[in-house]
Amino acid sequence: MATASTVIRYEQVRRDLWRPLSGASSRYLVTLLVLSAVVVWGLCAWGYQLHKGIGVAGIRRPVFWGFYLVNFVFWIGISHAGTLISAILRLTDADWRKPVTRAAEAITVFALMIGGLFPIIHLGRAWLFFWLFPYPNSRLLWPNYRSPLFWDVTAISTYLMGSTIYLFLPLIPDVAQLAEHATGWRRRLYSALSLGWTGSDQQWHALERAMKLMAGIILAVAVSVHTVVSWDFSMSVAPMWHSSIFGPYFVVGAIFSGIAALLIVMAIIRRVMHLEQYLTPHHFNNLAKLLLLMSLLWLYFTIAENLTAWYGNEPKEMNVFGSRVRGHFAPYFWLMVFCNFVVPFVLLGIRRLRSIRTATIASVTVIIGMWLERFLIIIPTLSFGRLPAAWGRYAPTWVEISITAATFAAMGLLYLLFSKLFPIVSIWEFEPHEEPED
Amino acid sequence: MNNSNQAQHRWGMAIDLDRCTGCQACVAACHAENNLPLSDPESAAKGRAVHWIRVDRYYEGEFPDIRVKYMPVLCQQCDEAPCEPVCPVYATYKNPEGLNVQVYNRCVGTRYCANNCPYSVRFFNWFDPVWPSPLDLQHNPDVSIRMSGVMEKCTFCIQRIKRAETDAKNEQRPLTDGEVQPACVQSCPAEAMVFGDLNDPESKVSRLAGAGRATRLLEDLGTEPKVFYLQRAT
Amino acid sequence: MFLAADFVDQEGVARAILNLRAEGVSTTDLAVFSDEPIEFPRRVLHRPSRMSLAVVIGAVTSCLLVIGFVYFTQYNYPVVTGGMPIFSFWATGVVFYELTMLGAIVTTFFWFLGESGLLRRGSRGPAAVIESGAIALRVKCEPNRADIVRDLFERAGAKNVRTLGAAV
Repeated sequence: MATASTVIRYEQVRRDLWRPLSGASSRYLVTLLVLSAVVVWGLCAWGYQLHKGIGVAGIRRPVFWGFYLVNFVFWIGISHAGTLISAILRLTDADWRKPVTRAAEAITVFALMIGGLFPIIHLGRAWLFFWLFPYPNSRLLWPNYRSPLFWDVTAISTYLMGSTIYLFLPLIPDVAQLAEHATGWRRRLYSALSLGWTGSDQQWHALERAMKLMAGIILAVAVSVHTVVSWDFSMSVAPMWHSSIFGPYFVVGAIFSGIAALLIVMAIIRRVMHLEQYLTPHHFNNLAKLLLLMSLLWLYFTIAENLTAWYGNEPKEMNVFGSRVRGHFAPYFWLMVFCNFVVPFVLLGIRRLRSIRTATIASVTVIIGMWLERFLIIIPTLSFGRLPAAWGRYAPTWVEISITAATFAAMGLLYLLFSKLFPIVSIWEFEPHEEPED
Repeated sequence: MNNSNQAQHRWGMAIDLDRCTGCQACVAACHAENNLPLSDPESAAKGRAVHWIRVDRYYEGEFPDIRVKYMPVLCQQCDEAPCEPVCPVYATYKNPEGLNVQVYNRCVGTRYCANNCPYSVRFFNWFDPVWPSPLDLQHNPDVSIRMSGVMEKCTFCIQRIKRAETDAKNEQRPLTDGEVQPACVQSCPAEAMVFGDLNDPESKVSRLAGAGRATRLLEDLGTEPKVFYLQRAT
Repeated sequence: MFLAADFVDQEGVARAILNLRAEGVSTTDLAVFSDEPIEFPRRVLHRPSRMSLAVVIGAVTSCLLVIGFVYFTQYNYPVVTGGMPIFSFWATGVVFYELTMLGAIVTTFFWFLGESGLLRRGSRGPAAVIESGAIALRVKCEPNRADIVRDLFERAGAKNVRTLGAAV
C-alpha cells in the first residue's frame, strides 16, 4: 500500500501496468471459459427465441415489455459509469481521477454495446431492426423521427460513437509505447492503433484539446441519453410513467449504478492485477463518497416520485403505487430501498465502516437495487393498466433469464479481454503524486 | 394522407350496454372473420390469447345481490390515437376514413403501441399462428394471416368496408346506412351494436352517438374514440 | 536536416527554444518529444489551435444537414403516414440534438487527427527517440546553420545532440 510519500518511478509504473498484459494464469483462462460458456448459452437462448418466436419469453399482454427492457435501461445506466464520471472529473481537473478513468470509460463502451443490443433482442422481428434507420427503399419504409424509440437509436449511436472515441484517444500514447516493446501480432495491433504516434508536442497539444472538448460533449450526450431512455416511458400515457421527473430521476439512477459498477470493477482489478499502489484507498474513499451522495439523491427522487403519486391519490396511479409499496411487488420495492439506501447509507455514511471492502459490498447491493428499480418502474405500470379487466402478471422464462445472465457474463468477458490487451490504468496520465490524508 | 379521394366516410360504432347480454357471439364472429389464431387454456392463462373484441365484465353490488355488466371492448379507433406517434416505423397510422390501421408488413414488433394503448386492445403475435385441422382450411381469403412478431388489432373489418365501397362504386350509387357491417355487429343477437358513418348526420350510429346515453371509454384522456357506449345514467 | 537533443527538465527545453527563436528559428520548425504532455508558457512555444471553432462549425453543420434532411424528406419521400408529420420541430428536436452532438464528436476526432499531424506521415519528419522520462527537442534547420543550433543546444544544457534522418 502506498504510503503518503512514496513516489512511484515511471519505469515502475510501466512495468506494473504492462505485467498483466502478458501471459495468462490458469485462473484467468478458467474465468474466460466459464464466461464464454454463459455467453454462448445466452446466444443459444436468443437463437431459440428467434427461431420459435418472441413468445418463448415470459412477456404477455398487457406486460409487453419485460426483462429485455429492464436490462436495456439497466445497462445504459451502467454505461454512465465511465464517460460521465470521467468527464466530470476531467473537466473539474480532479487529479485523483487519473488511475480511474480508463477503467470507467471501458465500462461505458462495453455496457453500451450490451445495452444497445437489448432493444434488438426485444423486437418481435429482430431481423428487421435496420428498418429503424432512414434509408431510401422501394417498400416506402421510413422511421418515425417522432417516436421515442427512434430517439433512442440516435442517442445511443451517438453515445457509443462518442464514448468509443473518448476511450480511444487517451489510449493512443499508451499503445504507441506498447508498440515499441511488443512483438508479433501484438506489435502489429498496437502500432496500427497508435496511428503513428511519436509523442511530439503538436500531438500532445491536439490530444489534450480534443480530450477537453470530448469531455464537454460527452457530458451533454450522456445526460441526454438517459433522459431519452426515460422518455420511452414518460412520453406514454400509462399511469406512473407519464411523469416529468423521469428524465433527471433516470440520469441520477444511471450515475448511481455507474459508480457502483466502477467500484466493483476497480476492486476486482486491484486484487487480481495487484494494482494496490495505483488504485489506493484514497480512490475508493472518494468514489464511495460519490456513491453515498448519489444514494441520497436517488432517495430524494424516489420520494419525490412516489410521495406526489400517493398524495394525489388518483385511482389509476394508486393501483400501480399500491402494488409497488404494499402489493405484489412490495418485497422487491423494499428490497430496492434496502439495497439502494440503507446499505450504502450505513456502510459508507459511517466513517469508521467505510473501507474498500464495504464500498464493494455497497456497490453490489446498489447494482441489485438499481436493477430492481428499473424492474419496478416498467413492470407494475404495465401490469396495472387503466382498465382493470386487462390486468395481468408477468414472470420471466428461462430464455429471458439466460439472456440476462449472458449479458453480465459478456460484460466480464469483454473486460477480461480488454484488460489483457490494454493497460487498465492510463500510463501517460498517471503522475506520481503525494497521497492526501483521507 | 388526404389525397384525391377525400374521405366521405368516418366510420364509428355505438354499443348499447343495456342490451348487451355478454354472449360472446361477437368474439366468435371476429375470430372467424379475421383469421385470429386460436389459443388453448394454457396460453390464454399466459396472456397470449388474441381477441380483437373482448367482453369485459364489471360487477356491481355485493354477493348475492350482484349485477354483472358486460362491456365489449374493441379498438376504439381513436382520432388522437396514443399508439400512432410512438411507433418508430409508421406501422400504425390513420387511414383517410379515420380508421386507425395497422400495417403488418411495416411492423418490427417493438410493442410500444400496445403499452401506450389505454384500452389494451392491441395484440401481439408471439408465435406463428397455427390452427387445428380443419380450421386451417376455412380462413377468410380477404384477410391476411399475420406472422410471428407483429402487432395486430381490430380493423373495423376494413375488408368488408372496402368491398361495400367498391360494390357501391361499381353500381354508381352511394353507400346506404347499415350496408357495411363488421362481423361483430352482424352477429350480435341482441342488436346491441350499430356500425355506420359518423359523417352522415342521419345515420343510425350518428343519432345514437348524439343521444344523451352516449359516453366514450376513458374519454378524459383526450383520445377521441369513435366507439360510443350507450347506457342509462345511473 | 533535423537536429535533436535530449534534456532532463522542462526549463532546459524552454531555454533552448527561446534561444533558438532569438536566432530566428520559426516555431513550426521546432518539435518537442516527450512521454507525457508538457505545457510551455505562451511566450515560449505557442501552438494556435482552431479545434474549438471547428467543433462548433462541425456541430452546426451537422445540425443543419439533419434538419434539412428531415425537412425535405417530408416533401420528397412519399411515405404514407396518415397525416402524421415527418418533420416536427419539437418532437424531432431530440434527433436534431443528438446528431448535432454526433457532428461535434466526429469533427473533434478528425480535427484531432489533422491537427496532431497523425494523418500526414510523410511531411512531419523523423521522430526523436527518447529515453523514458527525458524530453527531446528537434529542430529543422539548414545544414549551414547546424553548428549554431548545436551550440545553442549545448548552452541550454542538452545531452546527446544528434542528427536525425537524412539531410534535406
